[in-house]
Amino acid sequence: MTTVEKLKGILVKDLNLEELTPGDIDEDAPLFGEGLGLDSLDAVELVVIVQKHFGIDIQNMDEAKTAFQSIRALASYIEGRLSGG
Amino acid sequence: MSFAPVAITGMGCICAAGGNLSDSMEALLRGERRPAPPVRFASNHPVRYPVFEAVDFEGPPDLLRTSAFALHAAREAVADAGLDRKTLGALRVGVCVGTTVGTVMSEETFCRGYLAGDVPDMGPIRRILRSNPADVIAREFDLSGPRQTVVNACSSGTDALGIAGSWIREGLCDAAIAGGADELGRITYIGFISLLITDDSPCKPFDQRRRGLNLGEGAAMLVLASERVLRRSGARPRSFLLGYGSAGDAYHLTAPRPDGAGLRGAISEALATSGVSSASVAFVNAHGTGTPDNDRVEGRVLHDMLPGVPFLSTKGYTGHTLGAAGAIEAVLTAACLEMGKIPANAGFETPDPEIGIAPVREVTTVAGTVALSESLAFGGNNSVVVLGKA
Amino acid sequence: MSGTGRIVLEGIGVVGGFGCGIADLSRSLADGNGHPGTLALSAGSGPIEFPAFRADTSLLKEFVPARTLRRIDPFSRLALLGSRLALADAGLADTGHDRLGVIVSSGYGATGITYAFLKSFIDDGDICASPTHFANSVHNSAAANISILLGARGPSLTVSQFDLSVPSALASARQWLAEGRVDRVLFGAVEELSELIGYVWYRQRGAPRSASMTPLRTEEETAIPAEGAAFLLFSRAEEARAGYCTLDAAITGSHADAGFPLPDGGLLVLGADGRRESGRRYAAVAQNARIACYTPLYGSMPAGPAFDIAAAALTLKGGRFFPSPADAARDFPATVPAGGEPFDGAQISCLTLSGIDDAYGVTTLGRLAGKEDPR
Repeated sequence: MTTVEKLKGILVKDLNLEELTPGDIDEDAPLFGEGLGLDSLDAVELVVIVQKHFGIDIQNMDEAKTAFQSIRALASYIEGRLSGG
Repeated sequence: MSFAPVAITGMGCICAAGGNLSDSMEALLRGERRPAPPVRFASNHPVRYPVFEAVDFEGPPDLLRTSAFALHAAREAVADAGLDRKTLGALRVGVCVGTTVGTVMSEETFCRGYLAGDVPDMGPIRRILRSNPADVIAREFDLSGPRQTVVNACSSGTDALGIAGSWIREGLCDAAIAGGADELGRITYIGFISLLITDDSPCKPFDQRRRGLNLGEGAAMLVLASERVLRRSGARPRSFLLGYGSAGDAYHLTAPRPDGAGLRGAISEALATSGVSSASVAFVNAHGTGTPDNDRVEGRVLHDMLPGVPFLSTKGYTGHTLGAAGAIEAVLTAACLEMGKIPANAGFETPDPEIGIAPVREVTTVAGTVALSESLAFGGNNSVVVLGKA
Repeated sequence: MSGTGRIVLEGIGVVGGFGCGIADLSRSLADGNGHPGTLALSAGSGPIEFPAFRADTSLLKEFVPARTLRRIDPFSRLALLGSRLALADAGLADTGHDRLGVIVSSGYGATGITYAFLKSFIDDGDICASPTHFANSVHNSAAANISILLGARGPSLTVSQFDLSVPSALASARQWLAEGRVDRVLFGAVEELSELIGYVWYRQRGAPRSASMTPLRTEEETAIPAEGAAFLLFSRAEEARAGYCTLDAAITGSHADAGFPLPDGGLLVLGADGRRESGRRYAAVAQNARIACYTPLYGSMPAGPAFDIAAAALTLKGGRFFPSPADAARDFPATVPAGGEPFDGAQISCLTLSGIDDAYGVTTLGRLAGKEDPR
């Protein structure tokens, strides 16, 4: 399973997006505001989700901003950190 | 709809700055603060966040630390008011206490045991059940009046004071012990860190480089007395509760409304009920947690509604004491009015252009007789009290 | 301050072991029998199950979109449903409430999400604590969720005073209206029977031995744990269009050596809920009053007194007694009304006593004269 696919499944489950399936989610759509429509509380939850499922820690929201642009951006950030970047 | 002033005849306080009100005020005026990583509990979180613990205080084992703080402050306030169990017994006295931790069934040892399939000891649960802060104070002084524990998150202490004031005005009781209490424990510490609103260095309220809050703990209590009790006891008030206002943002569970509409409403109501104009306000004890959001919103509101009025956050000395904050800040405000001076806003160096105004940077003389103390809570409640010099 | 100063109960929204809505509560009151469900949990010795009054909040989806509900925990769901039902019952819209105060009272608060928060870091370490769970476990999150969804910008208050939570908070609701701070107060009592609270109940009292409560046999332990929400919409009389009754008094205190302010020739609804430690106190104080007790229909919980008030309101509006447990006469020598008889008293008082000390609350409701209710 690719990181993108894994993330979609995790988001649907951990953010309780009951009415969506992973297949419904566009990996290039914005996560916040429009697109998936998440808010600031979801953003801090996402930091914990990334820590819990990938062991990566994000120290502050500035670091998170670019990573959280979209699911594809987040997957790319995670892969980068995991490969020692 | 101007309220009749309610006399405050006694005050008590315990926090990281000191074990009583006078020690706390002295530390603030000396500009002393001692934020440090927690020593009373441990966390496996990799970052060590500074907090403001009342390290020298140990409560009895049969009570929650929160309620032990409440009792400690209540005893100081009652003695300060020249009262005791006997004299209180001849009156109808109410208790109104704000807290966040003091009533929550949140006990880590017990839950770990349950999760592991053990039969955990019920002692910690029994302790919670006997530690409701208003119950504890009512029992201590054998009080017969109304009792209320307010759990309004960070505005609880301010709200408790406002509510007790309305009890006195309506004659529901002759006197009231009102305030707030909260202990700092692992669960609170971990929770606030998870929200990414804590600073891993000492907090900098209203500073451009502020990065978040530091948690604290403690309690403060005030004795409110009716006209009748004042006349009979000959007690001299230390301060007056002149007004109270409270309004909601109806916006978000943890973020304040960007336009500060709730706070504006609360300040307007507080001033209207006190019959005091914004021009008469000598200073404002702000909520000023040091988070980017709070200080920006609150700062802009102060800039618009109370331009030129000196303001400060005392959280740089006490940390954010949650349910106790509104009460600790009210007694500090009253003490400042008595002394005619306010401490510097600890942690502040660089003004934030987004806010447009700056808090006081050194101990400042204040000549006026009226001050505001404000609290902005999670959930969007904004509460303000107006205090008057006696 | 203009107006008569009278306060009217305009709308009631209830959910609990009897069902959902005022019609279900009325049916249950007329029937006179409680129908608890069960609570299952795992104790150290293995899985256990016992009678408990459970509430079903699935109707909430008709008021609030699923997407908005995703982060709302069971405690807040109970609160949201109760508040929406009360507004709908009063025929009011769910927006534009500028001068609306919101008050939530609860003995134990949002224990389900609190427990979930603890689990999040017990399981995965402190760094994995869930901020969403933490934000929702803050005691006033239910009141906040109500205010956010209704756009209500008035004052908000959450009170936690164990058995006296409802009377204590109700006194504040009355004061806000009397002072003219708000035009309406959405007052609610919410209790969640989470796994954690269920387990604490089990450890403290054991599993209920029967699926039927007999709280007026005050020497016996017959309490059954419960959850639910009861919301009462109060308005200043000038604002109210119709209603159930007036709120005449909401008094709390302790050491009532001189006795309680009881209605003269009226009815006293007891909050006795099968817990032996408070049962005795009720027996001691209510010997000479004409009493009724409806807790067997919704169970034992700190939110119970708000349901007592709803039952009293329905009695005043309908003008007839609801049946009360038949074997009360053993402990209460005064007349217990039989179901269906006309009730023409001017007032009903609801008495709440603490299980741990001598704190009390007396809420008195009055007949609403001269207001025609088109419903």
